[in-house]
Amino acid sequence: MTAMRVDLSDRRATGRPDYVLIVSVLVLSAIGLLMVFSASAPRLEAEGFSRTSLVIRQSVFVIGGAGVFVATAAASDRSWRLSTPYIFAITVFLLLVVLSPVGVERNGAQRWIPLKVMDLQPSEFAKPAMIMMLAVMLSPADETGISWTRIGRALGLMAVPSVLIFMEPDLGTMLVFTFVAVVMLFTAGTTLRQLVTMLVTGLVVLVMAFQLNLLKEYQLDRLTGFLNSDEHSLTTNYNQNQSQIAIGSGGLFGKGIFNGSQTNLAFVPSQTTDFVFTAVGEQLGFVGSILVLGLYLLVVWRLLIIGVAARDRFGMLVATGVAAMFGFHVFVNIGMAVGLLPVTGLPLPLMSSGGSFYLTVAFSLGVCHAIWTRRSPVPGERRLMG
Amino acid sequence: MQPGSLRRLNARLVTVGVLLVVCWIAIGYRLVVVQALEADVYADQGRNQRLQRETLAADRGKIFDRDGRELAVTIDSVTVYANPREIEDPTTVARLLAPLLRMNMLDVLDALTTDGTFAYVARQIESAEADRVREARLPGIYFLTEPKRVYPMGDLAGQVIGFVRADDNVGLEGLEFQYEETLAGTPGELLVERDPYGRTIPQGEYEVVPAEPGSDLVLTIKTEIQFAAAEALERAIERTGAAGGSIVVVDPATGEILAMVNAPTFDPNDRSGADPVLFRNRAVTDAFEPGSTMKLVTISAALEAGIATPDTLYEIPRQLERGDTTFTDATNHPSELTVTGIVAHSSNLGTIMLGEELGARELHRVLYAFGLGQSTGLDFPGETAGLLRTPDDWCETTCIASTSIGYRVSVTTLQMAMVFATVANDGVWVQPHLVREIVDGRGARVPVDPLQRRVVDVGTARSMRAMLEEVVSGGTGAFAAVDGYRVGGKTGTTEKYLYDEQAYSEDDVVASFIGMAPIDDPRVVVAVVLDSPQRDASGGKGAAPVFSEVALAALHQLGVPPDGE
Repeated sequence: MTAMRVDLSDRRATGRPDYVLIVSVLVLSAIGLLMVFSASAPRLEAEGFSRTSLVIRQSVFVIGGAGVFVATAAASDRSWRLSTPYIFAITVFLLLVVLSPVGVERNGAQRWIPLKVMDLQPSEFAKPAMIMMLAVMLSPADETGISWTRIGRALGLMAVPSVLIFMEPDLGTMLVFTFVAVVMLFTAGTTLRQLVTMLVTGLVVLVMAFQLNLLKEYQLDRLTGFLNSDEHSLTTNYNQNQSQIAIGSGGLFGKGIFNGSQTNLAFVPSQTTDFVFTAVGEQLGFVGSILVLGLYLLVVWRLLIIGVAARDRFGMLVATGVAAMFGFHVFVNIGMAVGLLPVTGLPLPLMSSGGSFYLTVAFSLGVCHAIWTRRSPVPGERRLMG
Repeated sequence: MQPGSLRRLNARLVTVGVLLVVCWIAIGYRLVVVQALEADVYADQGRNQRLQRETLAADRGKIFDRDGRELAVTIDSVTVYANPREIEDPTTVARLLAPLLRMNMLDVLDALTTDGTFAYVARQIESAEADRVREARLPGIYFLTEPKRVYPMGDLAGQVIGFVRADDNVGLEGLEFQYEETLAGTPGELLVERDPYGRTIPQGEYEVVPAEPGSDLVLTIKTEIQFAAAEALERAIERTGAAGGSIVVVDPATGEILAMVNAPTFDPNDRSGADPVLFRNRAVTDAFEPGSTMKLVTISAALEAGIATPDTLYEIPRQLERGDTTFTDATNHPSELTVTGIVAHSSNLGTIMLGEELGARELHRVLYAFGLGQSTGLDFPGETAGLLRTPDDWCETTCIASTSIGYRVSVTTLQMAMVFATVANDGVWVQPHLVREIVDGRGARVPVDPLQRRVVDVGTARSMRAMLEEVVSGGTGAFAAVDGYRVGGKTGTTEKYLYDEQAYSEDDVVASFIGMAPIDDPRVVVAVVLDSPQRDASGGKGAAPVFSEVALAALHQLGVPPDGE
């Protein structure tokens, strides 16, 4: 079969913005700011800082994120496809910088590049870069599926940032990578046999990693702490117990903003970052939690619709990958907060305070929106090749 | 374009969507469990985490003398402590700190180099001193306010009032120990919600059970008499070279102890370096053989039994042989004496004759009735009962003789004072006590109602008082006379029994005088006991003048008019 060339000059702009997606994202960001403020103000005050210092900083990230989204969405999906190799290369370079003496280490992990305004966390930026690169690599296909050679080449390229991130280490990002890669391979059309083969190989590698003590002790502790939830309430899973106490205290309708004695009064650790959902649970209650959960589902649903509507396989794979990444973060983060999953330290998209991940999510959503506005007139009708 | 494969790929996207929805349902399920089904459990856990119980210390009651003078009060003092972890250069800090606290630098250094985050440097210091340390602004040095017990009268009644443990103000000795529960009060409790920074949560729960302050004690002690007795005892020890001594002043009608003095004494405000022996209230805790003062009991028993009257004449032999012991009289007196004369001249032989006529059982009965061989029940810890053997244990030979003149029996100064008080109170023994009233936090007063019991007839008591007056006016107790008042009493001089050696001392005596004034209607009984006086080593010379001084002071303080004559 002769490969058809994709017409990269076709930079049409069609369709109106996806208002459902945009409104959901804005509402989640606004709730996020409110939660960050209520959960940080008393603690900051107690430590002698201004009550608003953290929320102002996060607001700047949200506004910056909006700018990133608008700019990213304005560019054509074809431009993004063309620039993917460069984005990927820059990401790998930044990951190398992190591991160089320039990078800073905190709590035994070297993940940050210190800049004047903020600490850059390239492993976050690596997530969309990896999704887009994988989409580029997997988009050519024929009716018989994707060849082992193509899969091998794609995964080989993914190994470069993965190894760098493993060295930091950043277990959470590794998990995101794995999940997103599996989802993208699945939607790209790999056979069931190929998938099973890869999963088995992955498991064998994981077991070997355990055997060779490549995983840090605290990463194991978190897993075991989760298994004995009630017995070690003051050790490893203290955070998770506190998180459930806070969420449970919220009851059906919550205690109201600024009345969350558990989150506002700093019983819950990392309550503006990894455990920001506890602030939702305590202050807004079951009703608020379900509302937030629903908004997240709305975002993921719109992303999958973008995947269906994309005019080519690159767009379809990118949208699916971003949906997988976004959904995985939300599920793992909230799952951890409610005691469903072990503590892994993945931020909650759009709500956790922190700049790198907010900008990463804004960028990813921007690319997806670019794919949406340039979708094919007939949903699902796209060329098989690229 | 292959419609079949297209449908297949969209189907895979749908599969991803379904997978995510399943994940969402799992979270939703957990939310139902945590926020609806088990919400109360988690809310309770949170509440327990925020609720903190704090003990509110109760104020310790004060101790007053009978006129409301403060004898023991609690003040706020400052304690200096260190967090050794915050001190990088302990040697320098110790060098700066030691002179400010007037402490040894090495002691300070010890505290600053203790393991851990808390070490006392100096406890309960004065606020002026603490201010100097504050101004020095030394790293890792902190302050806390602690209640401190202080005794404004210093060593005046140290052994009676006692003292508390510095750590927690719990009574260790004396009345502070005896009345611990009364003085301590009940600690309160504060239930408050706090955040992890220890700040009170404004809209949180708040419950306070206030501390119940301890009750105040109003003592029977009259400070002026206590002071006069202490001064007199001090002078007597200087004059006689005695090792120590005790004085008890008691109101015979009420059993109220007006003064209780022991020497040497100590200052409960600063007992560092004081020998713990000094903490003993010897007038109550130490027993001795009283000797001649005991003749009061023997003669009373004889009068009570009707075997003699004050005027019954007795032929007194030169000596009496009992077993291998020869009893003699220490004083020169006519060979014929009335019972009054026996008392006035403190005749051992006359008393022995009366005692033997009474017999062991009768003598024992009266001794016991006067409160000997049993504790008086004074509201004071560690009182001894003394020693009074039961008649079955009395030997056939010397025992009645020895006992009737105050040997083979041991007593406390207080017990002997109460024997004389019984005679002074027309034969009725009133239980002695140190606390007159207990005043609780709301000002309610609970007066003490002492036990009473009749020991001898009014007539016997009056006769005895007449004899005791004779002792002072024409007998061994001449030095006990008090200007302007008719007084009576009895001298006592015994060889000191050395418990360690199980033998009587050849050099040391116990000299005593116990008396009362005014003799017609005694308002005070004063018992003076000197331990091992080296000069004036007898009751008449050593102790009687002390009685005179103390009785006069007491009579003046109580406003007792002089006897007209």
